[in-house]
Amino acid sequence: MGEAFLKLEQLTVGYGANTVLHSIDLAIRKGEFVALLGSSGCGKTTLLRAIAGFVPPSGGRVAVSGREVTQLPPDKRGMALVFQSYALWPHMTVAQNIGYGLKLKRRPKSEIAARVAEMENLLGLQGLGARKPGQLSGGQRQRVALGRALAIDPEILLLDEPLSNLDARIRLTVRHEIRALQRRLGITAIHVTHDREEAMVMADRIVILKDGHIAQQGTPEEIYNRPASSFVAAFLGAENRLLLQAERLPGGSGGGIGEAVRIAASPVSAEALLPLAGRDLQSGPVEARFRAEAAELLPAQAGTAPVDGALTLSGHVTAVSYPGGQWRHGVKVGEADIQVDAPAAFAVGDAVTVRIKSGDLFLYPTEGGASRLAAMPPEGVGKRSAEVVEA
Amino acid sequence: MPQRLLALLFVLPALAVIVLLFMVPLGASLIGAFESGEGYGIANFIKVFELYRWDVLFTVMVVLLSTLLIGFFSTAIAGYLTLGENPRAVAVLRWLYRWPMFVPFIVVGQVLRTFLAKNGLMNNIFIELGLMTPISATSFLDWRGIVIAFVWKQVPFVALLVAGAMASIDRGTIEAARNLGASRLRILVEIVVPQIATTLMVGLVLSFVTMMSVLSVPLMINAQSPTMLTADIAFRINSYGDYGVANALGFVSLLITAGAAWIYLRHSVKERA
Repeated sequence: MGEAFLKLEQLTVGYGANTVLHSIDLAIRKGEFVALLGSSGCGKTTLLRAIAGFVPPSGGRVAVSGREVTQLPPDKRGMALVFQSYALWPHMTVAQNIGYGLKLKRRPKSEIAARVAEMENLLGLQGLGARKPGQLSGGQRQRVALGRALAIDPEILLLDEPLSNLDARIRLTVRHEIRALQRRLGITAIHVTHDREEAMVMADRIVILKDGHIAQQGTPEEIYNRPASSFVAAFLGAENRLLLQAERLPGGSGGGIGEAVRIAASPVSAEALLPLAGRDLQSGPVEARFRAEAAELLPAQAGTAPVDGALTLSGHVTAVSYPGGQWRHGVKVGEADIQVDAPAAFAVGDAVTVRIKSGDLFLYPTEGGASRLAAMPPEGVGKRSAEVVEA
Repeated sequence: MPQRLLALLFVLPALAVIVLLFMVPLGASLIGAFESGEGYGIANFIKVFELYRWDVLFTVMVVLLSTLLIGFFSTAIAGYLTLGENPRAVAVLRWLYRWPMFVPFIVVGQVLRTFLAKNGLMNNIFIELGLMTPISATSFLDWRGIVIAFVWKQVPFVALLVAGAMASIDRGTIEAARNLGASRLRILVEIVVPQIATTLMVGLVLSFVTMMSVLSVPLMINAQSPTMLTADIAFRINSYGDYGVANALGFVSLLITAGAAWIYLRHSVKERA
């Protein structure tokens, strides 16, 4: 990682007695596209507004290329914010909206007109300069908002859920447009979103926020394949959750696979020996998470025999649906309901075997230990379940 | 169509109230404006022109000036309530500014009469502070007194409307301007006011019409000529029993307020187009 261009140190923000951000440390390189990802109320928008200078921090500092900007007003930070509502000025034309920042800087009229034309060309808004925002489509408004922010040539572009008010189809194209534009201009961008896929597709680096803390940060590939906690795993789609007993084995004892972890046999799972592969685990109860598409669904008789380096579960199908591509099955495994994708449909009631390869299985120590494990009620599959565990 | 008849029946009481208490008297006084000793004609209006043309001008000027000042001060107050960054000052202003709304015009007139007179509180304070000598003290009990009374009384009302409108505009539009470096005054003038212009206009037209119909303030503060049309109407009726000229004066006031209403309507049609 190169030197930090935008640096947050111990940034703390609170409203009254309620602390929203707990000493956030973050360093962003020049030209990097960073997504702040989290569910609503996690503090991601507050973090963006604190960086922009709209929310005074109660502690810590913000620095841009070595210059502290913590106490500077929003316009002295070299940043431009694109608002979720676009916040275009309804009484001004597109050209006036885009040119307003330059007008404030007392640039000559000819220069403003040239820059506005440049922005209109860049963003595909040619011929719309005389229109009012009320006469534009959602996608066009979004681009005007982008043009207004970019017209002043900011060093850092801040995007507050800029795609959430767009139709699903337009959103997909605008994602790529924004990303391509950011690359072309070489501008540093921070993008707030609650949409996992949007963050994955657009960002160089994803910062996952939870309750005002950074839960994990890394490239899309890192956080997707190596989620650091059960929360992150669930947030990134590994919503199937099982509670298992694990035993950590020292190196050499695991059949030549180095340090290993043994999952104890249970009424629903066969004993399995998995490489530790950097997992932070001790012997005891563990929480297992995996994605519906990462598991393999087999008829019970064919798949009963456990396979090395994979976890094998047995259960029966409770629901079948076709969301496109693969068939999605609801499978009851003991007390737990999980979802598993398969290329061909099984019938409801079929006894099945579910196999998850070690690399697709995320294991975390349970927080409360064994006693809590016993007391834990069975849970449905869904986003909520992750939050219940974490709460 | 029994159901339609029933519907009409329900509307009837309200309709009757409007017709009997509003339309009929208005129509009667409109007709009365053209009625004099010699039958129907414009004799009353000729009298109005001869006796009261300066009062018509005086009324229009005083009310127009008051409306402009109300627009200025209410925008300033509502603007500070919306954009002010000192929460304590905003809270104090929010608590203070509404009080004049609850003071009747007659009391406003009474208070300002003692405050603005030659030997009134205001001049006494200035003299005590050494800002003026007793010789140079003048009474404000003329058109200036009326304007001060009107503005003091009507600013809170318009500020209330305008502040409500300002509170409901997208905060993002304000923050976006701040983000680009606009000062608070520029934000108020270039971003906020254009978005609430219609509400401001409504408040000002309503204030205009209200001020056109206030009798107590000109009677108490401006007991001289020229004065406002309301005082003239009262004078024609109470001193002469001259309903014809009073009605003609009323007709002229109606034309003036209709002018204000027309400006408003034309603007709101343009907004919608």
